Amino acid sequence: MSTVTITREANKALVQPEGDVVAASVSELRSAMREVISCGVRELTMDLACVQMIDSCGLGVVVAAHNSLVKVGGRLSVVHASKDILALFKAMRMHQHFSVTGD
Amino acid sequence: MTQRSSGVREMRETLPGTLAAAEEFILEFRRRWGSSLEAPHEFETELLLREALANAVKHGSQHLPARKVQCVLRLRDRRLIIAVRDEGTGFNWRAAVRREIGSLSPTGRGTRIYREYATRVRFNDRGNAVTLVKEF
Repeated sequence: MSTVTITREANKALVQPEGDVVAASVSELRSAMREVISCGVRELTMDLACVQMIDSCGLGVVVAAHNSLVKVGGRLSVVHASKDILALFKAMRMHQHFSVTGD
Repeated sequence: MTQRSSGVREMRETLPGTLAAAEEFILEFRRRWGSSLEAPHEFETELLLREALANAVKHGSQHLPARKVQCVLRLRDRRLIIAVRDEGTGFNWRAAVRREIGSLSPTGRGTRIYREYATRVRFNDRGNAVTLVKEF
């Protein structure tokens, strides 16, 4: 199970999921990301400091957020990814499209 | 259920076809076996298990609890086997493994994760069972 904390300032938002970002629990994060983008956020930072596992569903939510932001001229950054999660982003070549940095 | 005999560890379970049941099994795997696998194998093995179970639940079982998912994990020496079978009609795995999905596609990464993280991947002909071998 995961929880999501959102801190918003003007058109910037920091999204901090806590727990696993996986198929069984990703719906809350998906809704949160959609909501902040639809409310005008254009610079979205996803902080993965408290995430130890992400699967293909979780990656799908991150990619969907990136795609939505690009359509409106915005930008996604992923920060504080663990070594394993950073390697997964790179293996899926997602780091070529938006910034992904480790912890 | 976990069995242990002559250096072989095994978890074997028949699950309802739901993500909640799959998650419960995965957390049990993490609790029992996770710490015995060295980094990065713990993450990679759990990821493979997650992808196999999620595919079985979503595509094979259509999230229906009445459709069962069989899962067997077997660890011997430095070789782990993950075998997952569902009751669905199967999928065209030959096309799926050849398909190169774009890195900005929101879906379709499951089989790509198999290729990246498993030492060997084998499907049955019908496409409703996958065996993933991870050698450490």
